Amino acid sequence: MTCALPKKTQSQWATFARSWFLIDARMQPPGKIASMCSVRLQGKHKPIYHPLSDIGDHVVVMNTRHIAFSGNKWEQKVYSSHTGYPGSFKQLTAAQMHKKDPTAIIKLAVYGMLPKNLTRRTMMQRLHLFPDDVLPEDILKNLTEELPQPREIPRKLSEYTQEERNAFPMLWTPPEDYRMK
Amino acid sequence: MAACRALVSRAVLPLHFHYVSRGVMLTHVREKKRWMKAYTLIMERKRKMEGPPPPKPRSQQTNFDYHAEVEAFGARVQERFSLELLKTAFVNTCYLRSEEERRRALGHDLETTALNLKDNGELCVHGQEFTKGFLSDWCRGSFPSLPEEGVAAVVGHLTGSEVMCHVARNLALEDLTMSAEFPVPDETLQGTFFAVIGALEQSSGSVRAGLFIRDFLVTQLIGKDLFDMWKVVDPMGLLVKELSRKGIALPEPRLIRSAGASTVLPLYFVGLYSDRKLLAQGPGETVLAAEEEAARVALRKLYGFTENRRPWDFTAPREQLQKPSAQALSSR
Repeated sequence: MTCALPKKTQSQWATFARSWFLIDARMQPPGKIASMCSVRLQGKHKPIYHPLSDIGDHVVVMNTRHIAFSGNKWEQKVYSSHTGYPGSFKQLTAAQMHKKDPTAIIKLAVYGMLPKNLTRRTMMQRLHLFPDDVLPEDILKNLTEELPQPREIPRKLSEYTQEERNAFPMLWTPPEDYRMK
Repeated sequence: MAACRALVSRAVLPLHFHYVSRGVMLTHVREKKRWMKAYTLIMERKRKMEGPPPPKPRSQQTNFDYHAEVEAFGARVQERFSLELLKTAFVNTCYLRSEEERRRALGHDLETTALNLKDNGELCVHGQEFTKGFLSDWCRGSFPSLPEEGVAAVVGHLTGSEVMCHVARNLALEDLTMSAEFPVPDETLQGTFFAVIGALEQSSGSVRAGLFIRDFLVTQLIGKDLFDMWKVVDPMGLLVKELSRKGIALPEPRLIRSAGASTVLPLYFVGLYSDRKLLAQGPGETVLAAEEEAARVALRKLYGFTENRRPWDFTAPREQLQKPSAQALSSR
């Protein structure tokens, strides 16, 4: 029974416990999501951080299918791999990679941002990626906190109401017989 | 020195020397003695077989002048004792009994050469009452909302044999006590310490004795948590009692945070709300443990025994000499 433990032990339990963070990656740049994940997987968000301490937390990322690269990265960013055997050099664009496996982009991004040592694999095991917002029950039970999204999602024109559209200031009023394309 | 001893014991003798004692080594010897290695090996084997030598009381070691040591004790603690009272305080009943038996065994006639030593029994009782009274007053003054059981628990912890023997050993009272056995048993040492406090009170007055107790016993409370000293089995019940006595609404527990609920190492934070306002929150491995910890945190806040409270005042007693009663209240 932990009820009779002295106070120092109870507060130590709270200090060294592993949290479970949830991030929604809908309409977010995968690089920003990956940097948030890597910070929390290493434990760098805690004042008791030490590289040998293994005090990283779990991070659950949902909606990885709906990430949003900026610019033309879907066509221009290339993921290359070579197994070492001749003729096995593969190059996939980000769009092809995403179609093949919707969690691969974030996984590779986080893998590249973690420290390049033996603790990296353990930290990757603590990263849980889900393409949609359907999460298994035991992971849902474990979650502690949802992190705010790094990018503010801009509203589409269809999401504005007619009143807001009318209230938007116009630069000039066109005459009545002006024909707009 | 220790390294050289180790070298000798391993029978590697690059430098031949005469080892006299710790701190004394003569390197000017004539030649390498052939018997030295055998001798040292035999001595090491003997030492390993017999184990460490039994502890000897300081009074039986060299360079010990009892009167000087007693005076030095007074000077060290910066208190002026009456030396007779102090010497009486160090004499225990068991010592008197063992002395009488020894004299009887040696054939001394007890009527003609009676032992002229008094016991420290009365001083001990007197000192104990004074200490307990002073500590209870101090406790009540520093923590006005702490109930009687809490005060009794804190005072009991401070006057218990662990703390008192720890302080007594570090003040070198064990060297000065006269008792039948060595090492001095804990109860005897505790009794001697109480007797010393009693002697101090009778020599210099209750104010100086109170300051002595404050400086040596109350300081043992620094860094200690209330519920380490006071074993409370049902903190929630006690909290409900306290709050209903003050007329505040009863606490409702709510789960604030949880982490890893389906893992082997879960963490739950439970907060206690009275009338929709947060009283305290506490962590725990299960929800029940967290609730109990939250109740303990709330009790610590109520009694003013938190870790971030204002520290107690241990300054030198220049202004406080005139008002001994206000001193307990102001030493928060």
